[in-house]
Amino acid sequence: MENILINAMLEVFSSMIFIDITAEPAEKDGTAAMEYNLVSLIGLAGDLKGILAIQCPGAVAMGITSAMLGMEVTELGGDVKDAIGEIANMVAGGLKEGLIPAGKKIELAIPTTVIGTSVRTSGLSGASRVMIPFTCPLGRFGIELRYILS
Amino acid sequence: MNGAISFSEINDKIIESTIEIFTGMVMMEISVAGEPLAKLGPLKNSITGMVGLAGVQKGVLAVHFPKQLALDVTGSFLGMDVEEINADVQDAIGEIANMLGGNLKTILSDRGKDIQLSLPSTIYGEEYAFSSQAEVDQVILPFQAPSGLFYVEIELER
Repeated sequence: MENILINAMLEVFSSMIFIDITAEPAEKDGTAAMEYNLVSLIGLAGDLKGILAIQCPGAVAMGITSAMLGMEVTELGGDVKDAIGEIANMVAGGLKEGLIPAGKKIELAIPTTVIGTSVRTSGLSGASRVMIPFTCPLGRFGIELRYILS
Repeated sequence: MNGAISFSEINDKIIESTIEIFTGMVMMEISVAGEPLAKLGPLKNSITGMVGLAGVQKGVLAVHFPKQLALDVTGSFLGMDVEEINADVQDAIGEIANMLGGNLKTILSDRGKDIQLSLPSTIYGEEYAFSSQAEVDQVILPFQAPSGLFYVEIELER
């Protein structure tokens, strides 16, 4: 699961954002929730039920958006929401494709973005959780998947 | 998709199921607090439960509670005292989103077979704005509970 997510994220960054990112070792259950300025979430349904979230500090979200759009973005607003939400959508698409060889079929909901101060997210207590931190020259951000595989 | 179903029909049914869930399971009396809204400003010191809809109709159902009301709802739902946003509160608020999402799924498709729900998730923070990416039709239904107002938000991809 981690590899599918990492590959999907690297693919999105190398094809659309052109920033070098490095995956750090995945964190599993029990890690305390971190606080972010921006979280883009997308629901997953089907053989894997879950929710995928891209979590960024504000500066990293603006940096990624600037690189993606090729223009300086200095406000945590609509452009950032669209950019990070689209990344969540594409990574979820990558996960969907990556699960096909295992015979798992999933459908995606629509991405939703939350922008604010001290934002935390959590899932149902029964679900599995994997969180992969990434580092890039702008700072750290993370991708989190909470899921139940049937 | 589902062009035959209008938001006013969805609103009526979701209002009905929200009241049913609160009176029957949360054990709390609530009432509709005015007309549906088109937009919601930033949420302050709140918790949001959300669930995604996937399949022939994509979308999101979210329910936004101010913190104190979320604690009261959880206390009443689980029959226990809660003082902070903890795993019980997250599960309770996520479960309310999940139940409403299940009802929305049934409303949108005859037997609910061609739409699937994601896992519910909760979001909380001091102040945050919640918005979808896709081109969506959106409605926000306000409800009055004893200790505050809460909102049920429906976003359906066009």
